Amino acid sequence: MTQPTDTGRSPFDDLPGDLMIWVLIVSELLVFGAGLAAFLGVRLTDPAGFAAAQDHLHRAAAGINTVVLVTSGWLAALGAQAVEAGRIARSRALLTAAAALGVVFLGIKWAEYAGKAAEGIGVETHPFFTFYYLITGFHAAHVAAGIVVLLLVAFRARPREVEAGTAFWHMVDLVWVLVFPVIYLLR
Amino acid sequence: MAQVTKAWMLLLALSGGSTVLSVAVARGALTGTAVTLGGAALLALAWAKARTILNAYLRLDEAPAFRRGFGLTLALYALLLLALYLGG
Repeated sequence: MTQPTDTGRSPFDDLPGDLMIWVLIVSELLVFGAGLAAFLGVRLTDPAGFAAAQDHLHRAAAGINTVVLVTSGWLAALGAQAVEAGRIARSRALLTAAAALGVVFLGIKWAEYAGKAAEGIGVETHPFFTFYYLITGFHAAHVAAGIVVLLLVAFRARPREVEAGTAFWHMVDLVWVLVFPVIYLLR
Repeated sequence: MAQVTKAWMLLLALSGGSTVLSVAVARGALTGTAVTLGGAALLALAWAKARTILNAYLRLDEAPAFRRGFGLTLALYALLLLALYLGG
């Protein structure tokens, strides 16, 4: 329980945005963080098998998706600044553009999954792919949810809601910059 | 230039660094210990990107105490990933 200071202020008042969105962010980071640590832990048992499985991934597509997502996060951050400045139309345009880049991310991800399916690679092909589908699939689900959230807060265009919605989107962005090197790049 | 725009440019630069490293490994330009060092560098770049998103996009720069707390936790987590990576 947060104890107010003598001035009546809670230390959590310094956090940008609502405390609850930070609780959500930390919870999600713990889940993905545990998943990535477990991935590297299991990799210890079969590094060669994990490296061979990783060669089936499309690193360039995942790299493009990194640029897409960090650019989307930038647009969302600008959208949050715009709504705080009372520039509602600009905020809506920026948040919609951020959501559109989220759709691009999912499109590339869909093509990646389709490629794996065409190769006959599934969840049970190798432990690498079990983690791959679990972690990237769970992340993609968060991207889909984030797109809906961004569009909702763009429509309502209220500073507090935009702040919470964009914070969720940045969390999705943050998770991806950790997932990308661990799953796709580390040899 | 807005801070978030500077952060975005930094994120693009860090992502470029990750791409260069991964291409070098994939093309066999790095071998032996250099591959391991490249992997450690990839994790360092990921840590830098995560910090940038926390501080600029999520605005922890405005809350120094929380920025330090998140920064320390993230650094410890990156070290855990590095230890697991080097163990392989």
